[in-house]
Amino acid sequence: MAYINKIILKTFIDGPGSRMAVFMQGCNLRCKYCHNPETWNLCIHCGECVKNCKKGALFFEDGKVKYNKDLCAKCDVCINVCPNNSTPKYEIMSAGDVYKIAYYNKDFLDGITLSGGECTLQYEFILELFKLIKENTKLTTFIDTNGYIEFDILKKLIDVTDGFMFDLKALNSENHIKLTGYDNEKILKNLEYVSKNGLLYEVRTVLVEGFNDSEDEIEKISEYIYKLNSYTKFKLIPFRPLGVKGELSNMESFDKEKFEKCYNISKKILKSRLKD
Amino acid sequence: MNGIIEILSDTKLDYKQKRAALSSFAENSLPYVDISDKARKYMEDGIICNLNEGNAPYRPRYVLPDYKKYFENGSKYLNIKKPSDMYEAVNALLIIYNYVPSITGYPVYLGNIDELLEPYCDSVSERELENLLKMFLINIDRNLPDAFVHANIGPKDTKVGRIILNLEETLKDAVPNLSLKCSKDTPDDFIKLAIKTSLEIGKAYFINHDELVKVLGENYGIASCYNALKIGGGSFTLVRVNLKEVAKISKDYNDFIERVLPDVINCQCEIINERARFIVEKAKFFESSFLAREELININNFTSMAGIFGLYECVEILSGMKMGFDNIAYEMAENIIKRAYELVKEKEGLYCNGYSGKIGFHAQSGIDSDIDVSAGVRIKTGCEPEIFEQIKLEGKLQKYFDTGVSDIYIFDKTAKNNLEGVLTIIKGAFKNGIREMTINTSDSELIRITGYLVKRSDIEKYEKGEPLREGTVALGADSIKNCGILDRKVRGI
Ligand code: SF4
Ligand code: SF4
Repeated sequence: MAYINKIILKTFIDGPGSRMAVFMQGCNLRCKYCHNPETWNLCIHCGECVKNCKKGALFFEDGKVKYNKDLCAKCDVCINVCPNNSTPKYEIMSAGDVYKIAYYNKDFLDGITLSGGECTLQYEFILELFKLIKENTKLTTFIDTNGYIEFDILKKLIDVTDGFMFDLKALNSENHIKLTGYDNEKILKNLEYVSKNGLLYEVRTVLVEGFNDSEDEIEKISEYIYKLNSYTKFKLIPFRPLGVKGELSNMESFDKEKFEKCYNISKKILKSRLKD
Repeated sequence: MNGIIEILSDTKLDYKQKRAALSSFAENSLPYVDISDKARKYMEDGIICNLNEGNAPYRPRYVLPDYKKYFENGSKYLNIKKPSDMYEAVNALLIIYNYVPSITGYPVYLGNIDELLEPYCDSVSERELENLLKMFLINIDRNLPDAFVHANIGPKDTKVGRIILNLEETLKDAVPNLSLKCSKDTPDDFIKLAIKTSLEIGKAYFINHDELVKVLGENYGIASCYNALKIGGGSFTLVRVNLKEVAKISKDYNDFIERVLPDVINCQCEIINERARFIVEKAKFFESSFLAREELININNFTSMAGIFGLYECVEILSGMKMGFDNIAYEMAENIIKRAYELVKEKEGLYCNGYSGKIGFHAQSGIDSDIDVSAGVRIKTGCEPEIFEQIKLEGKLQKYFDTGVSDIYIFDKTAKNNLEGVLTIIKGAFKNGIREMTINTSDSELIRITGYLVKRSDIEKYEKGEPLREGTVALGADSIKNCGILDRKVRGI
């Protein structure tokens, strides 16, 4: 059983081709710019959201908060008032449940991508799901991760996964700590291992003003990826305040001109390996 | 006489449009072809409609000349010899297009243009080739300014087809309408090129060639909005039934299926056959057309078309449920279509020699005056379920239509960077029974109405009262207002 924040049946931006994306609940990093902090924690049933839902879509049953989709107006008030960076709307599903959805739509899909939160925290579910998919369909299996994984778990996942997308917050360790609260040593080690296995499909970096947008950082990160292998694509994403809570919630969207500058620096190094 | 003055002095019409309006005024001064009172009543009540075809038809609605034969033999009547190079080939086509009759006066079928022109590629340099094709397309857009003018490409990969797709993307003209026949043998990157073009300008249509060959044989073309008809033939007429209105006069579902629908379709077929009879026997079309004389068309390849539309609202009225969200509604929808199909096929189609004496069944795409009623068997604009579900449901219905049916799937702009993904979805759609479909993005410059395209900017001009070359812009502008076209669901995340 796994905690599933959301399933998107069709996405064009989470790996190659047409894919189904599964966003899982729970995360082990605390990035300041996180656009979905409501995926960080499991619900502790404090009831704050129940009080604030105007539609009666949330209620208590046996001391636990329950959610009625049919009444929900998708106003996201519950997410905004949750003091615990969680949401009352995630679902508990089995690998079989998710597999069935993918199988039902297999004619229209190239694959499935697991994302989050940090999906690898629920790696047993992924192993089971990907095995089912591999045994019964031609769909490819991708994982979108922050890379903060125990090495033996990563090794297990590699056996059933066709591609990884790594979110690399910063190459410079200090910058990384400033942004996430954690050092990136473990992440880089994992990233390099995946790269060696030929499975590092894409690396993404969100540019946040004053944290990781210096010329030096962009250059280093681009060179790092350039030297890593000959195939991994890199994507730069400008920061947007949408959904962000806490310190950076009032920060403006990353400046367009500045973004272009960063993009051009990286383009010079990575050429066609830098994604638009 | 007042009507004539009105046409003459209409400032929204240019000279050609006035001439067309005057000729239909003259035609309509004759009584309607000889039909029963009951059939007439259904027409007056808007239950059956013949799409402004006129009272006394003197030419078939859709004509698909055999341009291949024209290229092989030339034409005595047009004094055109078998073309010997690309210049002559392009010229020969541009000439004959002006002689193909239809309801609007513009040819609804331009041929499998890449297959036709490909053999002449070696007669010109690369640059000439591109320039000629560009001139060819611009000539068609300016001289035949009607978005129902339809060209086909594929299923074989061709240099000409690829150049046309690239040119279309830069020209961004509404005319010609364009279809890509896709078969198992069509290379993926040819289809992807068409996807790229489609995401920019809303055409080409993607045609499930392997499936249509099973129905019509290799020798078919896509004409007008998306009508699948035999080459060297066509359709005498298209008369459509508004299923929403049929539902309104039925007591309940049983009454609809057992009594009202059979009665309406009976009258529909009666009208169709009388119109075909008039064209062949009274107007003696095949005796006066050089296309027939030179065997570029043959009555044995013709049929007539029985169209239906407004299925979504019909089901809503009969069941109180919505197609796309309730399984029962969908079962009902399929039963209705199956029943209508069988009723049409029970009847003899007069001169429908190309379809073994049967009338073709067609999901009609709707016109400007349709208010609150959905095209063909489509789910109401803005009420579509999630895209894969929509495709699966529509796929089950499309198999009943042997002379044309289509659906539109709209993606957001992330599709532009993932042509592979769109290709997978199109192939999945074909696998699930879809015969004809289009795609578009929400920010495209050309807006697909139901079977054709108009430019966003032209619609704005029309609303300001400026005269325009294209009759279909007016149709489009009214359609957008009346049918909520811009509400169509955007597909993306
Ligand atoms: S979702 Fe948040 S606010 Fe609601 S009960 Fe759970 S922890 Fe409390
Ligand atoms: S989004 Fe949350 S608060 Fe809003 S209606 Fe739905 S459950 Fe209630």
